[in-house]
Amino acid sequence: MSTYDYAKLGLKCGIEIHQQLATKTKLFCGCENKLRGQDPSDYTLERTFRPVLGEEGKFDPAMLVEFEKKNTVIYEGFTDCTCTYEIDETPPFFCDPNAIDIALEIGLLLNLKLVDEFHVCRKNYVDGSVPAGYQRTGIIGINGSIPISPQKDIGINLLCLEEDSCRKSSEGKNTITFKLDRLGIPLVEVTTAPDINDPEEARLAALRIGMLLRNTGKVKKVLGAIRQDLNVSIQGGERIEIKGVQKLDWIPILLKNEVTRQLSLLKIRDNMVERGLKSKDFQEKVFDLSEIFQKTQCKFIQKGIKNGLLVWGMRVPYMQGLWGREIQEGRRFGTEVANKMGAITGLKGLIHSDEKLEKYQFSEVEISKIRKQLKCGEEDLFVLVLGKKSRLEQAFEIIKDRLVKASVGVPEETRKALEDGNTEFLRELHGAKRLYPDTDSREIPISRERIETIRAKLPRYPWEAMEEFASKYKIPKESLNQLTLDGNLKLLEDILNVYSGKPTVVVSTLLETIKTLRRDDKPVENLTDSHFIQVFTLLEKKKIAKEAIEDILSNISENPSVKIEDIVENMNITTMDTNELQNIVQRIIPQFSSMIKERQMGAMGPIMGAVMTEVRGMIDGKLVSQTVKSEIMKEIKKGGKQDGI
Amino acid sequence: MGSNQPEGYKKKSKKFFKDHNIEAWDKVEIKKGDSLFQGIILPRNQFADDGYVEIKLSNGYNIGLKVEDLEEINVIGKNPPMIVEFEGMKIPKDKSKPNVTLLGTGGTIASRLDYVTGGVIPAFKPRELYAAVPELAEICNLDTKIIFKIFSEDMKPNNWLKIAKEVTKLSNSGIDGIVVTHGTDTLGYSTAAVSFLVQNLHVPVVFVGSQRSSDRPSSDAAINLIHGTNLAAKGDIAEVVLCMLGSSSHTYGLIHRGTRVRKMHSSVRHAFRTIGDIPLGKIENEKIVWFKKDIHHKSAVDLELETICSKKIESKCALVYIHPGMSTEIIDFYIDKGYKGIVLAGTGLGHAPKHMFNSIQRAISEGISVVMALQTLWGFTGMKVYSNGRELLDLGVIPADMIPETAFAKLCWVLGNYQDENKIKQVMQTNIAGEILPYEDIRGYQIQQGLTEKEY
Repeated sequence: MSTYDYAKLGLKCGIEIHQQLATKTKLFCGCENKLRGQDPSDYTLERTFRPVLGEEGKFDPAMLVEFEKKNTVIYEGFTDCTCTYEIDETPPFFCDPNAIDIALEIGLLLNLKLVDEFHVCRKNYVDGSVPAGYQRTGIIGINGSIPISPQKDIGINLLCLEEDSCRKSSEGKNTITFKLDRLGIPLVEVTTAPDINDPEEARLAALRIGMLLRNTGKVKKVLGAIRQDLNVSIQGGERIEIKGVQKLDWIPILLKNEVTRQLSLLKIRDNMVERGLKSKDFQEKVFDLSEIFQKTQCKFIQKGIKNGLLVWGMRVPYMQGLWGREIQEGRRFGTEVANKMGAITGLKGLIHSDEKLEKYQFSEVEISKIRKQLKCGEEDLFVLVLGKKSRLEQAFEIIKDRLVKASVGVPEETRKALEDGNTEFLRELHGAKRLYPDTDSREIPISRERIETIRAKLPRYPWEAMEEFASKYKIPKESLNQLTLDGNLKLLEDILNVYSGKPTVVVSTLLETIKTLRRDDKPVENLTDSHFIQVFTLLEKKKIAKEAIEDILSNISENPSVKIEDIVENMNITTMDTNELQNIVQRIIPQFSSMIKERQMGAMGPIMGAVMTEVRGMIDGKLVSQTVKSEIMKEIKKGGKQDGI
Repeated sequence: MGSNQPEGYKKKSKKFFKDHNIEAWDKVEIKKGDSLFQGIILPRNQFADDGYVEIKLSNGYNIGLKVEDLEEINVIGKNPPMIVEFEGMKIPKDKSKPNVTLLGTGGTIASRLDYVTGGVIPAFKPRELYAAVPELAEICNLDTKIIFKIFSEDMKPNNWLKIAKEVTKLSNSGIDGIVVTHGTDTLGYSTAAVSFLVQNLHVPVVFVGSQRSSDRPSSDAAINLIHGTNLAAKGDIAEVVLCMLGSSSHTYGLIHRGTRVRKMHSSVRHAFRTIGDIPLGKIENEKIVWFKKDIHHKSAVDLELETICSKKIESKCALVYIHPGMSTEIIDFYIDKGYKGIVLAGTGLGHAPKHMFNSIQRAISEGISVVMALQTLWGFTGMKVYSNGRELLDLGVIPADMIPETAFAKLCWVLGNYQDENKIKQVMQTNIAGEILPYEDIRGYQIQQGLTEKEY
């Protein structure tokens, strides 16, 4: 893969980071801030949405596109964490002051100019992801900055405090199902300025902001609690919003591929200009070609026509060769058009003559009939779509519109990040006109005293703390990165304040042991910072051995309300580690060597007795018997063989 | 300063605007510390704190800034006051479709959103409604008339009479159905009143409203309007009914009899319930299903009988909610103020505190009709069961087996049209428009609260 000179291309990138806050309740109601995973729902609802007439009595185009999908939305609710607020049956109960405090703290860390009054606004969505049809959101601060490296600061345009939307549960043909539990969980949205000029720098910026958020200790740590979007453009291209970037490592790949896409689209534009094509050249007539396919060998058209679907076709003048042009690895311009049409109309079957038509089993006769009826010349391309009449009309409008946009360059749009590092059309870019004041909420004054109280307790930047830890404790950078992203940097510091042993023990507990427990399906979310500190305090006082940490944490996670001392006592494990035990056993065995010679394994009982008098209460008895057994075996092999054998 | 002074602001902010020569909707640049804010000056909620300026940023968000911290403010552009125009949709009349008239009383059932203030501008002319709810054009030929524009909480008995007169005129005009849009707060009072005021209806009179405002994409306004219009156009009923969503889902609407319906929740979509009985029926898309048998069908109407409307309504009526420790002076007040009728929303089977009996007796002896309805909403009066009830009956209190709001609307109608004490009592106790149930359907009172019978 080639690399680009991003400075020369004029790459500009901004990031939006969404992070859920770890408050007790949701932002606008008293429901518990929790997710119900894959639990079956307690009730379901069915809703439809319609766009609201905006300024001048016209509909917002992006909202109209959603409405035209005619989707029914199903909501799955839970009686313990979704109430009448989530289903838009009642106005907000309050705006949680704790969430505002956390947002203000983050605002201060990002050096933002905080607002004097917080205004809750409504942001319209008609895709069903918010039952009200709008998300409640507001600005906490603007115009800040943070360093992403010693050499570079990036601007922070905006910090919003808002409610999270629903989780998508499943999607059918004309229905979409959402789970309501996530809706209303408070989150902050950090929007950077488009100051990032390199894909790797973007990853770094996202990492830094992510660490800063996690390091407050007041945000959610679970998977999915942090999500990124990207805004990207190059010189001559347009702003593209890429939604749903799940992992930091995706960022450079997505950006690079988006640059490739925009460059390819600009190249296609240049080719269209060379061919003398203008935007008005794409108002071609659309023909019903179903008649041609009455006896077709093409399976899916055959089946479609049998089910009453139609095949419509259109000539695309002088575009032959351009639809087959690759614009991203494995994606052609034709794919781009088909995706957009599909995303809006739900239609899947788009065929164009830059494809290998043999794969559709079209006959020569069919192809020449199509070309004839559409009056296709040598350099013209044709496009066919299979579907219902009402959807076909819409489909060809979208195709024509996309061609007009291709003749200009890169169309502004919102795209969805795909696992392979590419993106596909998600929806039209939403404009500022979908934001308006929430008439159900009052403005909330933010007093100077409130800000100063928060400022006084502000944590330092995680990268400063990390630098200190790296040099003081010799902890590897990757481990510190991960600990910070997990929101555990502060915990590391707190533990090292009570525990004077090796820092690597703490690091491996916080990184590896938790991972192991999670893999074993232990409810690790029950483990609090205080649990870890208590465990390491016991270790410091030599009341337990480090080998026991995993078992103790496992036990605590399952009995979070039981006192740790009681758990440890019940587990019969305390201070001795296996090395110490082995030393003791090896010291005692020689005293019994003649008995071993005589009785072989029969000497086990007396030896156990002798060992136990020394280690009782300090280590698990099972472990003692295992060690004694294996040491006796060694002794036997060493030469304790009985005479005559 | 012209008339374009930003609205809703108080002293400190006003002075700031005056000093800096700022008008509403001005595009301004504000310097605060080392930061620049650019936005449009917005009007402000008149109940909000003084000393702030409210602006809309170019990204669409609104924020508030303290005026005392602002170092500099410059007007960088002027915005003309906005003129609101709907992009209408003209639809020619289709002779094969039923004709429906929509009467507007004040609720906004379809509206245009003002993105700046969040306010809504109601759509009402047919072309505006067609633009906002295109489905209406498929159902019928729609005509619209605004009777008045008032919030439903400001409605008075004379407004009911005005609605009734319009309904009567339309019923006699040969159209197929009537839809009345109405704010939801007192919707149940109006449906009851019109049920009594208008006799011999020829067509369906369907009241609709919306619980979740029409400025939200999830509003119930459009679906209620579609259901109501379908019912008015095609429903085989000649009664005053209310038709709104029957559940939180945007699926079916329930059809409630105007005299038995009550708003039972302050905000949910399915706030309206039939009390003491099951609803008349339901409507889903165009499909109407009737649950009840005692319906006045449109197909059975005798068109020879003209629809008539009462000429008068009595406004000097009161609805008094009985509660422990209440003062008897309340009754004395109404007597002294020349009231003609009082509905008591009594406790239990129709009771009132004994210390109020003297005043009640005084009211009745001065010719005031005192009616007993029930604050339990469900169930019937039983004033012969306990001595309290028997004594009230002896005083001349009239038991009325209907929900208090309906009893109130009925008393306003009765007192506007009858003077004779016995006649008043007789009409109050006669079923006129389905307000008195002949028997109690067990399903009329089922409050399971989402728990199954097993869980109870």
